[in-house]
Amino acid sequence: MKKLTSAPALFAAAGAFLVAGLLLAFLYAPVDASSMGFSQKIFYYHAPIAETALVAFGIAFVAAILYLRDPDPKWDRLSYVSVRLGLLFSVMVMVTGMIWGKAAWDAWWAWEPRLTTFLIVCFLYTAYFVLRQVVEEESRRATYAAVFAIVAFIDVPITFFATRYMPEGLHPVVIRAGDSGMEGSMFLSFMISMAGMTLLLAALVRADVAAARLKDEIDDLKTRIGG
Amino acid sequence: MGFRQFMAILRKDLIRELRTREMLVSMFLFVMLALVIFHYAFGVDEDTDLTYFTGGMLWVTFIFSALLGLNRSFAQEKDEQCLDGLLLCPVDRVTIFFAKMTGNLVFLLIIQAVSVPVFTLFFIERSYLADIGLFLLVLLLADLGICTIGTLLATISMNTRARDLLLPIVFLPLIVPVLIAAVSATTGIFADGADLGDLAARLGFLAAFDAVFMVAAYGTYDFAIGE
Amino acid sequence: MSIEEGAKFVAAAYAVILAVVIAYYAMSARRVSALTRDVELLKAEVEKREAVSSGD
Repeated sequence: MKKLTSAPALFAAAGAFLVAGLLLAFLYAPVDASSMGFSQKIFYYHAPIAETALVAFGIAFVAAILYLRDPDPKWDRLSYVSVRLGLLFSVMVMVTGMIWGKAAWDAWWAWEPRLTTFLIVCFLYTAYFVLRQVVEEESRRATYAAVFAIVAFIDVPITFFATRYMPEGLHPVVIRAGDSGMEGSMFLSFMISMAGMTLLLAALVRADVAAARLKDEIDDLKTRIGG
Repeated sequence: MGFRQFMAILRKDLIRELRTREMLVSMFLFVMLALVIFHYAFGVDEDTDLTYFTGGMLWVTFIFSALLGLNRSFAQEKDEQCLDGLLLCPVDRVTIFFAKMTGNLVFLLIIQAVSVPVFTLFFIERSYLADIGLFLLVLLLADLGICTIGTLLATISMNTRARDLLLPIVFLPLIVPVLIAAVSATTGIFADGADLGDLAARLGFLAAFDAVFMVAAYGTYDFAIGE
Repeated sequence: MSIEEGAKFVAAAYAVILAVVIAYYAMSARRVSALTRDVELLKAEVEKREAVSSGD
């Protein structure tokens, strides 16, 4: 089991699914019938990345709760790594979202729910790192970070809800890309890519947690030498 | 026993501030100056109709004023080491949270009680007295959200190296949903008038936000306030 | 928008994803190998010091 879920194995699996998804998206799924046309193909990676980012923040949320209940550094490492990866994926969501926006509506930016929510998400989780940076005592850093990771994750769906259902009124924006019901072939391509992205997240979490543990080990060793 | 402690802490905070009034005066001056600046920033020529900006102007000002107040009240605590003394007493951490939150809420309401009439004088043409009850409800619900999140985060940020620099960074992304709902509701009241039906969704949202984060604060405040 | 124009954007989006993932992976791999090296070095150092102190 360990071999199967090791980082290299996960990377390999992720790669396989992602390539398969890509091939399916371009060779099997039809070109979108709506005005977006070919640019809709971005969706096959853009949406999975978005959902994977949220999964990452969810992992951080659970790890944070587990840390507060039992202050084992491994939970803090998992939480920290997941937030960092979630942030990375969120930035990718924004960039691909903006490229798609330019292609589909000829505008680099629109205050539509998904882009806006991910923008706020980026600020929110950047604040997580600022918080970690400025806490001096190590014992407190993990605790405060955990509290924030919990509160932040709760805020994510709330923010999405707010941006979606309470528009300011002046700019009615109706963008429901990808919601217009997917055909079977589109759905399959999407699901395969989704699996690939999730596996990629798993692989990256694995690798980064191991790196974090190494770093902690080094710090310990350094103290033993210096002290 | 919990309630007596709650009242004791609350009374201490209120009396301390009401005696010197430093923080209240600063918050009030900030609001006034912000309103003047808004007039010059937006109302470049006499005919500019700012009606649809009024909600935004009001709440932006209140949020930053609240940040001022939060920073100040917790910085004082920290400097005078009141919090340490408080922690030595056998008082429930959560009681401290509710007492501090209520104190901050009272200060914010005091500022708003004075600022709203002035704001109305400066920017509102139409009388909204008919909807005053609804307006006050929006005010209260949004304030609760601001003070709940604000008190939780201020407790954490005061214990860090960056102190009052950190609070806006962690607070603002989290409060965006409240801002969206409050601005939307308030502009509706100021501009065209609104009845309960129109605002039900926003009020419900604000109430839900408050409930959710009060529970979150209840669960995590022990950790936020530290050993 | 024609298929060619659309394709340019699509290619750009996928290229960004690929570039970011590869860059992050490369950074990560480099960091891990540096850390592993450090751990070995430090472990050797610790053993050396403990040997010296127990020899006294």
